Amino acid sequence: MTVHLAPTIEDLSEIAEQVWSSYLDPEGEAPLFPVGPPDPDAVVHGDVCASVSISGAWHGHIVVSCSAVAARYAAAALLQMEVGEVMPDDITDALGELANVVGGNVKSTLPSVCTMSLPHVVVGSGVTNGWPLTVPVCELVANWRDELVVLRVLRSKSDLAGTTDQ
Amino acid sequence: MTLSAANFSFISRLVRREASIVLEPGKEYLVEGRLLALARKAGAAGVDEFLAGLQARPDMATTRLVVDALTTNETSWFRDREPFNALTEVVLPDLIATRTNSRVVRVWSAACSSGQETYSLAMLLQDHLPAGWQYEILATDISHEMIERARNGQYSQVEMNRGLPAQLLIRHFERVGPTWQVAPALRRSITFQQVNLDGPLPTATPFDVVYLRNVLIYFDVETKRAVLRNVSRMMRPDGWLFLGAAETTIGVDDRFDRVPTGRTAAYRFRSAVPAGAFGKG
Amino acid sequence: MRLILRRIVGQLGFDAVEAEDGQAALDLLRSSEEVPDLALIDWNMPRMNGLELVGAIRADSHLRHMTLVMVTTEGEQSQIVRALAAGAHEYVIKPFTAGAMVEKLALLGLVPSGVQA
Repeated sequence: MTVHLAPTIEDLSEIAEQVWSSYLDPEGEAPLFPVGPPDPDAVVHGDVCASVSISGAWHGHIVVSCSAVAARYAAAALLQMEVGEVMPDDITDALGELANVVGGNVKSTLPSVCTMSLPHVVVGSGVTNGWPLTVPVCELVANWRDELVVLRVLRSKSDLAGTTDQ
Repeated sequence: MTLSAANFSFISRLVRREASIVLEPGKEYLVEGRLLALARKAGAAGVDEFLAGLQARPDMATTRLVVDALTTNETSWFRDREPFNALTEVVLPDLIATRTNSRVVRVWSAACSSGQETYSLAMLLQDHLPAGWQYEILATDISHEMIERARNGQYSQVEMNRGLPAQLLIRHFERVGPTWQVAPALRRSITFQQVNLDGPLPTATPFDVVYLRNVLIYFDVETKRAVLRNVSRMMRPDGWLFLGAAETTIGVDDRFDRVPTGRTAAYRFRSAVPAGAFGKG
Repeated sequence: MRLILRRIVGQLGFDAVEAEDGQAALDLLRSSEEVPDLALIDWNMPRMNGLELVGAIRADSHLRHMTLVMVTTEGEQSQIVRALAAGAHEYVIKPFTAGAMVEKLALLGLVPSGVQA
């Protein structure tokens, strides 16, 4: 029996597809198009970065990041408003909810019951976000409405120290 | 890489006819994205070539897969509800009263697609038959892919949200990563088989109940007749036939009477319906 | 999320009131003249989480009759079992479409027949 590191990229892709088709693209007009390959060494950057943290039997973070433009589209779609009406608070709410839903579904793929934090959203162009002492588990880089959206699952290095799963 | 106008028009007509879905121009992206995997699997270079091939050589199984790919996440559990309520409220009580010797209920899910109808029926039979009774379900579909998917019984989170009471979710399914899968106990009395309703049918003990829903629409009138003839040969003389919401045997096959059943209607052999029993005859 | 749900139930003819956490919800319910028919409850909330809120509502004789639907990302089997055991009537795992939410409410008899999402 092989032990696979959960979640897999297939899990993450499926989760992303479902979140997008339920919340951001119910008519199927603007689907999420995975592009690849992911760069494991790339520092996550993007104008808006929303994350949740997982703790318990598994420690790490799930991160959703995208451009300011994509974030406005997402807020408009999620909150059913015109793009021009979107306010900064709406972006925080919307991206926070995306991180929450993606994170919750990723959490369900983990072997044991864990707890998830409330989302944390950072907005600012040119800001780089790093999570030291983590290793990437999987990353989905996608094109949405001609903007780049990145979903990442990061796991705490201390989880993996002294274990044999790879 | 955009879809040709002719192909988009073909697809729009197809899904409008088969699933009442309206695809407006501007949704070519949607069609491309959803059909690319299917096209590649069929060995076509792209969706245009794939659809051109389908128009030149129409083939039911592929058509089903195309419609399914474009209506994904639309299928729900206990679809339309009333044909399932009718099973527990009218049909099962009738069968429990009449099948006292065998104490077996045999059901045919004759266009099982990805399996939601089949497993919905299994859940009802499992939960509503009295102790000592058994059920057997034959689930068939023309598409080999659908049969495999149905047999696998694994569904996405989004599919699971559609019409399935939470109590049944926890009782009959297990979480597998981001998906849910049918529990082994629910699968036990179900046989999956690829079958073309227009062709020779497998020999089987006749069925008490047949669900033939949303598949007659794929056929022309002559083929509808042939299919209903085939299906009728697989039914007990006092059996029950459920069709899709917009479908009817009237004008196609006069062997059957439309009988009000619960808050919907079933079709039963004319000879089996005593006047005034379940409806106005 | 509350905004989305508000819109969905609004289209079904419901009036909606909102609360930000479990304790605020309970206070609001206890002080309301007209107890709502339906509560849509998330799990992860500060002060009192959704599971605790469900228990508190079902233990209160004035609120016990309410229909309780959990709407949450928490989707593990054990959690659904716990929520239903605590007295929730239905459970919606996010993400959900508006159509799916309407279907769930229809299962509970809360949607006037003939209404589509």
